[in-house]
Amino acid sequence: FNTNFSTHFWGPVANWGLPLAALADLKKDPEIISPKMTVALCFYSMLFMRFALQVKPKNRLLFACHFANECAQLMQLARFLNHKYGTPKPMKQYQVPSDLVQSK
Amino acid sequence: MFILSDLYRVSIGVGNRVLTPRMKQIVKWDHPAGMKYIHFWAPLMKWSLVGAGFGDMLRPANKLSLNQSISLFATGATWSRYSMVIVPKNYMLFAVNIFLAFVGGQQVARIAHYRYTHLETPNEKEKQI
Repeated sequence: FNTNFSTHFWGPVANWGLPLAALADLKKDPEIISPKMTVALCFYSMLFMRFALQVKPKNRLLFACHFANECAQLMQLARFLNHKYGTPKPMKQYQVPSDLVQSK
Repeated sequence: MFILSDLYRVSIGVGNRVLTPRMKQIVKWDHPAGMKYIHFWAPLMKWSLVGAGFGDMLRPANKLSLNQSISLFATGATWSRYSMVIVPKNYMLFAVNIFLAFVGGQQVARIAHYRYTHLETPNEKEKQI
């Protein structure tokens, strides 16, 4: 383990905030997931996984961070898609009166 | 599954054959941080985060994630300092992270303002935490 606490260390530590934030958000309302940001983060982490291994010296901490972020963002994306397209919602023009709706 | 990487490799091959040496000189085709390598494309993809953050300005403020905004701001601020410290200085990385810090800070400010002005019902307070 490289004990030289330089930018090579603290930079990836700052980047760990993103997967930890996504993991904390897993329990929250899927309403707060932003689809654009989640998809952008998926692509970003995919590219940076390769970048972390190709840069000299190899930055395995950054690789681990982006791997975790990729997994977390894919989970958030799945939750968002399930919330938006999975749960049946009545169409706008066919609003059923609320006393007749059977809750799932 | 590897369609994108094959597509990328094919377009690099096409570029190698189609571009003239003078054109290659202009766009710095053979540079170690040039268009053939991940050192170029990865920081460029960071701009997509800035774009997504700008797009999120249209979302109502109660649909934003506070955790994500804070971590975006922190990573933008840290990397914008470090991109000036590393050798060689990376101005592109500096620019991206400055913008990312601004976008993250702007989202945090919107969330804070919304929560400050909408703390009426205990139901809302429960949802926020």
